[in-house]
Amino acid sequence: MKLRSISNWLQNRATDVAVAMLTVMFLSFILQIFFRYVMRNPLGWTQEITLTMWLWLVFWGAAFMLKDRDHISFDILYLAVSQKVRRIFALVSAVALVAGFVASLPATYDYVEFMSIRRSSSLRIRLDIVFSVYLIFAVAIIARYSLRAFSLVRGADPDADAGPEPKV
Amino acid sequence: MTLPFFLCLLTLLCLAAIGTPIGLSMIVSAVVYLFMRGQDLGLAAEQILQGIYSSFIILAVPLFIVAANIMNAGTVSERLLNFCIALVGRFRGGLGHVNVVASLIFSGMSGSAVADAAGIGKIIIDMMTKAGRYAPGYAAAITAASATIGPIIPPSIPMVMYALVSDTSIGYLFLAGIVPGLLMGGVIMTMNAYISHKRQFALEDPVPLREFPRVTFRAFPALLMPAILLYGIYGGATTPTEAAAVAAAYALVLAALVYRALSWRALYNLMANSARDAASVGLIIGAALIFNYIVASENIPAQISGLLADLDIHPLVFLLAVNILLLVLGCLLDATTIILIILPLFIPACRLLGIDLVHFGVVAVVNCMIGLITPPYGILLFVINGVTGIPLGRIIGAIWPFFFALLGALAVMILSPDLVLWLPRQFGYQG
Amino acid sequence: DTVTLRMSAVQTPTDVRSVVIEEIFAPAIADFATYEPHYNGTLFRQGTELEAIARGNLEMSITSAQELSNYFPEWSMFTSGYLMRDGRHQINVFQSDIGEEMYQIVEDAMGIKLLTVIYLGQRHVNLRGDREVTTPEDLSGVILRMPDADSWQFLGRALGANPVPMAFGEVYTALQTGAIDGQDNPLPTVRDSRFYEVTDQIVLTSHLVDMNFLSISADVWNSFTPEQQDVMQQAAYDAAEEIYVRQSGLENELATYFESQGLRVYTPDVDAFRSHVQALYLDSQYAQDWPEGMVDRVNAVPGEE
Ligand code: NA
Ligand code: NA
Repeated sequence: MKLRSISNWLQNRATDVAVAMLTVMFLSFILQIFFRYVMRNPLGWTQEITLTMWLWLVFWGAAFMLKDRDHISFDILYLAVSQKVRRIFALVSAVALVAGFVASLPATYDYVEFMSIRRSSSLRIRLDIVFSVYLIFAVAIIARYSLRAFSLVRGADPDADAGPEPKV
Repeated sequence: MTLPFFLCLLTLLCLAAIGTPIGLSMIVSAVVYLFMRGQDLGLAAEQILQGIYSSFIILAVPLFIVAANIMNAGTVSERLLNFCIALVGRFRGGLGHVNVVASLIFSGMSGSAVADAAGIGKIIIDMMTKAGRYAPGYAAAITAASATIGPIIPPSIPMVMYALVSDTSIGYLFLAGIVPGLLMGGVIMTMNAYISHKRQFALEDPVPLREFPRVTFRAFPALLMPAILLYGIYGGATTPTEAAAVAAAYALVLAALVYRALSWRALYNLMANSARDAASVGLIIGAALIFNYIVASENIPAQISGLLADLDIHPLVFLLAVNILLLVLGCLLDATTIILIILPLFIPACRLLGIDLVHFGVVAVVNCMIGLITPPYGILLFVINGVTGIPLGRIIGAIWPFFFALLGALAVMILSPDLVLWLPRQFGYQG
Repeated sequence: DTVTLRMSAVQTPTDVRSVVIEEIFAPAIADFATYEPHYNGTLFRQGTELEAIARGNLEMSITSAQELSNYFPEWSMFTSGYLMRDGRHQINVFQSDIGEEMYQIVEDAMGIKLLTVIYLGQRHVNLRGDREVTTPEDLSGVILRMPDADSWQFLGRALGANPVPMAFGEVYTALQTGAIDGQDNPLPTVRDSRFYEVTDQIVLTSHLVDMNFLSISADVWNSFTPEQQDVMQQAAYDAAEEIYVRQSGLENELATYFESQGLRVYTPDVDAFRSHVQALYLDSQYAQDWPEGMVDRVNAVPGEE
């Protein structure tokens, strides 16, 4: 199906970006150690790059890479109930997440925008830009769980979006 | 308890119970709290963003995840663990013993239990479950239990935090953790030996003695890694957080250049998997930071100290009561929250009752680490569930024997300050 | 009914600032305001308190010149080495029209009122090993931990060292293992954090008179009557004076204490450090943001002598 292949393509590009972030984070940390201990002349900007990439990796990954199964969750009760009850559970989850993230979105936007008054310590990047990844994350969560709520209402299997089976 | 705080906890418990991702549930219940208190709803984003952006120590987590995945993909960990198997694998429950011994070795390079579980823990779980030799729940449980040793044997991030709030010496605290850490390793191995005999776990084929040189030679570059890291930290080359990056870099060189067991494709895949694991663990650590704000904002510490103010009790009774309270809180709160917010409440009382603060610190940190494996809020359980996919129910079902074994070790530490303080006293501690 | 003033601070409850503010400031304002301190950065994280006050999420905090210079480049003047001569000079500067002008910048832009400067002590260089430090050249190649902000890192370079940012909680272990060669802090911090256990010498460079500022939301301040404002302002000054007395008394005792713990405590060629550091600052981009003639005005204010 065409829509499915577009979605896969996007998923793969999101993974490329995450891999790039993790690689940059790792390399800049190694560079920092090399300059500190081998060259005895520490660089100022490596720590900031490392932390920024880590922040982006967490929210970018949580927005675009994590299926429901990848998230850390307490699934004892969920796995024990019938398919029908699971659908209700999944629907309540999705609605609660959409409600919570929508309700806090305006204030969250306001906070991120407010942070333009400050720049990062070494590279002087405006912090609203650094923190904007949280907005991307919040919007992605709202979109993903809205779609999930609609498909559940229309009778979809609650475990369809769950990703691969447990790796056990 | 105020109504907003109650509703916040209720939301969290309900959402978590029906299987909503824990990190997202925490963010939503924090929003409920802020709304009920009439506070800025943007504070949830503020706390989680600033928390992750400023905490350099947490970086050890993704870096150890990368290191673990490289070692896994590049046969490094297998060679290393094959050596351990040759060493102790012949005993019943051998891989369980290997697990604990490896934790003891690796605890010397990391200050964080979460990093231990996500790193070496994942590798050993994969080995233990590979041929169906151990039940996934049992493998995960013994891994979680032995990961609690990580921050007891130095270096230790929680000990550093305790030293800051209690005005005690970090050097002596580190020394005081060594004997208790070995004791914890001992009780877990004893429990593993007992369960293995009772359930007749399959025996590994004993490795013949003449195989020893070959196994050792194959593992030698890998065996050097913990040695390099231990020397790095104690010999002055790196800080604990940096040790994580060095571990990953060394594993990469070993896997790609020395063992030639890593293709570009495999490298890409392991980075993608690491990114996914790091995001799911990072989200929950970040979300826990919002709860630190809520607990502080509710001024819960002041309420507790008010309760304790005019109690006149024996030091031992006090110590036991505090530990029971900490165990209960450990079911609900993050160890960082307990150390930074709850422990300072008891420190004045300890001084008053003549309880040694290094002893108290070690006991309290051990208690907090046990709290990492107690449901419903046990971050080690979540992390292992996150990186291996083993269902929480199975992990929790198998954790109890180890929980009680560790509880026994904790009781010994509470009752015998001399055991805890013996090593620091050898180095001049006056207490 | 009193207003609750939530204070978010990164120091411990036993820190002299915490103790004195609770002993002197809190009771003085008790008639109209309840002081509710949160220590160890548990309410708001270090470096985020000013934003929290500006956004109406917090009432009070203790901030620093380095923190303020993140928002106001003119404030970087007070992060420069060898500007203030001693604690008395510092208090006099901020109680003069200089303080008034600089405080007004912060109040206008962020809605934060700075009540008073708080003396934190003279910062000195605290090192491992037995190298003899007389001039900035002797610090060449020394890996010196400085707090994580560009203004601090610049000060470290100006002293002649190789500065490196590192979380405060990591410093003890890093000194113990030799990951860093030294750190800079006032003497009471060297004692409280037990850095003397893992270092060998203290070079009394006195490169910075460290300062904090007691700050309060301007909205909250404006909700008080003029009489209440007077009471609070006086309470802040009284607390600051007591902190200065205790802190400087402690500094005088500690040099002897560290010597008894086996450390070498000695004074380098401070004039050589001063001229080297001041020259670098005046040449730097920081100095371009400093208000015209302000350095001379600061120099003209009397100090301890
Ligand atoms: Na450790
Ligand atoms: Na727990």
